[in-house]
Amino acid sequence: MDELLAVLGYKVRSSDMADVAQKLEQLEMAMGTAQDDGISHLACDTIHYNPSDLSGWVDSMLSEFTNPPDDSEYDLRAIPGVAAYPQADESDKDSSPAAVSSPSSSSSPPPPIAAAAAPSSALIAEPTRPVVLIDSQEAGVRLVHTLLACAEAVQQDNVKLADALVKHTGLLAASQTGAMRKVATYFAEALARRIYKIYPQDCLDPSYSDTLEMHFYETCPYLKFAHFTANQAILEAFATANRVHVIDFGLKQGMQWPALMQALALRPGGPPAFRLTGIGPPQPNNTDNLQQVGWKLAHLAETIGVEFEFRGFVANSLADLEPEMLDLRPADVEAVAVNSVFELHRLLGRSAGMDKVLSTIKAMKPKIVTVVEQEANHNGPVFVDRFTEALHYYSSLFDSLEGSTASQDLVMSELYLGRQICNVVACEGGDRVERHETLTQWRARMESAGFDPVHLGSNAYKQASMLLALFAGGDGYRVEENNGALMLGWHTRPLIATSAWQLAR
Amino acid sequence: GQRVVPLNTWVLISNFKLAYNLLRRPDGSFNRDLAEFLDRKLPANTNPVDGVFSFDHLDRSTGLLNRVYRPESQLGPPTAPIDLENPLSTTAVVPVIVFFHGGSFTHSSAGSAIYDTFCRRLVPLCGGAVVVSVNYRRSPENRYPCAYDDGWAALKWVKSRPWLRSGKDRNSSDVHVYLAGDSSGGNIAHHVAVKAAEAGISILGNILLHPMFGGEARTESEKRLDGKYFVTVQDRDWYWRAFLPEGESRDHPACNVFGPRSKNLEGMKLPKSLVVVAGLDLIQDWQLAYVEGMERTGNQVKLIFLQDATIGFYFLPNNQHFHCLMEEIKNFVSAA
Repeated sequence: MDELLAVLGYKVRSSDMADVAQKLEQLEMAMGTAQDDGISHLACDTIHYNPSDLSGWVDSMLSEFTNPPDDSEYDLRAIPGVAAYPQADESDKDSSPAAVSSPSSSSSPPPPIAAAAAPSSALIAEPTRPVVLIDSQEAGVRLVHTLLACAEAVQQDNVKLADALVKHTGLLAASQTGAMRKVATYFAEALARRIYKIYPQDCLDPSYSDTLEMHFYETCPYLKFAHFTANQAILEAFATANRVHVIDFGLKQGMQWPALMQALALRPGGPPAFRLTGIGPPQPNNTDNLQQVGWKLAHLAETIGVEFEFRGFVANSLADLEPEMLDLRPADVEAVAVNSVFELHRLLGRSAGMDKVLSTIKAMKPKIVTVVEQEANHNGPVFVDRFTEALHYYSSLFDSLEGSTASQDLVMSELYLGRQICNVVACEGGDRVERHETLTQWRARMESAGFDPVHLGSNAYKQASMLLALFAGGDGYRVEENNGALMLGWHTRPLIATSAWQLAR
Repeated sequence: GQRVVPLNTWVLISNFKLAYNLLRRPDGSFNRDLAEFLDRKLPANTNPVDGVFSFDHLDRSTGLLNRVYRPESQLGPPTAPIDLENPLSTTAVVPVIVFFHGGSFTHSSAGSAIYDTFCRRLVPLCGGAVVVSVNYRRSPENRYPCAYDDGWAALKWVKSRPWLRSGKDRNSSDVHVYLAGDSSGGNIAHHVAVKAAEAGISILGNILLHPMFGGEARTESEKRLDGKYFVTVQDRDWYWRAFLPEGESRDHPACNVFGPRSKNLEGMKLPKSLVVVAGLDLIQDWQLAYVEGMERTGNQVKLIFLQDATIGFYFLPNNQHFHCLMEEIKNFVSAA
């Protein structure tokens, strides 16, 4: 790998350099011709993948400009999350193809990048700590320092000092406003719990936590982005399948699926048969949340003309799942997608849990695996490091919420995040489930488990950006492309990452 | 063109050229989504890398983001890593370089890998200087004077930070600023310096790296080098049309700094300038005219003419021009 270009974000083998240079010259000639012939619209319509792989990018551009484009391939339009369960409407069935047919692109999903660049160890040498300070934090700098000093005292088992500092934090937090104050309060509370060993009871009614998540879903674009980008990858993977099966590792209220089903319904040539397996935790009072969600989705499927089958699975942990339970059908009959939004990290607290789940996923022979996770390392072995990471992460997250207007939703969203903070800071062992890790770490894990990346392209990027413009209150949200994955962040701080995977050849 | 620069540099800049061709539309609009998708970015990082750490600062009221680079020696303990209270030094002057990235007013950002990498180099080069890279608003979405307004706001922000002050003793404490920029960033640096001079705000020096200037006339260098080394007159025209107010000509004072419509810079006491011109840059005649104009109006300017350098020679440390430039910047910033 050429080290100088690698620093600038481009992975090119030194041995390939001359070849890439030659292709760039060819591309220039081809583009020049294209413009003369007035077909420069190709430039706009081409779907780009993984710009870091310069050789691959140039190759795909060359084939766009030298080969005539193939049949159109539709892709998911930004379907508002608000309309998750729309009224039954005849017009849904009659949507004209023009509404969904996309500009031309290659007729099949691009082949995996041949040189499936293994994460270059030279590039992941040190963990990165991206910090975005908001001007209020200059004033709150003492508060941050006090929190960090308290975490340090906790780590050193200096209970007296930790106690004094956590009280002092309370005083300092009171003089702050906005996001800074809220974040500091949650972190101070979590520290206090850790110091006094008053651990939060996480036997919270799952329906309550689902409610909090719904508010979070409404207040800010993170979950919508997660669903949207994962669905885009699933749609592309399902492009030629007649029967599809999605296995959702955390069904909750099923908010991700109406949009996918609507996109499938509008597929040129008609929708595939759609089977959904939803996994969820045990419910108190014997209420069957999974079935209720399944019914709602079945109703929707009927109104939009999609053949639908649903199965719910109650599991304490994803590690309890066995492939035999899922009634899997042969891969040439039914294409499988495994979807995990903020679920996999929970397995990192128990040894072998993750390995078991990754094997189970492989046994499902999925066409695609979509993984959305928080973009942060909240699972390091050193408490102070974890604390510092989390403080910066949740500060950015809370800052991004400040722009939203619905105050009821805001409070609930903050509670939703506050519970995560509490878990990261106050809990340990099996209780600590919010073990977030970065995309770099997930990549390494997936690749060594036998998965290859499936790249998300510029079409998904563009539509994700459009989605943000529709829904986001503030305009600090940024979508970023990272070696084929997409990340959503607040200004320059990435906060969640969507990646897609397939079984390694 | 390939012989003039190392192969990997050629690949890098050709890649930009072709990508940028895709992004500019004939009607003057710009494919911003694709531009952001293609741009390779680096995050800020409070963990030091090669002796430098960085963090981003966002001014909520303006939405302006600056990326601050500091030497590792200024990093505090893990419980208080970023010092936002104490001056940089009370025994010495520590320069603060306010950097405006290039991209013809349209491309790139403070977080672009090429610029993050460049700014990081400046920190140890200038003896542990602080670098503040300004994420100014870009055209065509934000035309003149947005970039200048943001540059000005950034300068005022920098000048007002207690933690950017330095001095040989507490009494001579000030924020010691140099302005710097490449391409459009150099243009911004000039205009911000003028505004600073008018407002009586002290700037110690300007570093302009193949700054972006122009005018209605077609100069000899533009004709001679059109399309020869990555850049065309046509694309230069596009970027000016995207930046300048709609309908304006390139003799607008933002573009043609010593042209018929420009402010008279005589007696303005502008900071000393270091102007670097690449000998294979097609707009060099405008840059040389700038240098000449500065001299004529009694402003101190040093020209570095790099005979066979192309634009972007400073992105990779693999050529003599890069090393020459670094040496010149180092000397310029350290001279009293």
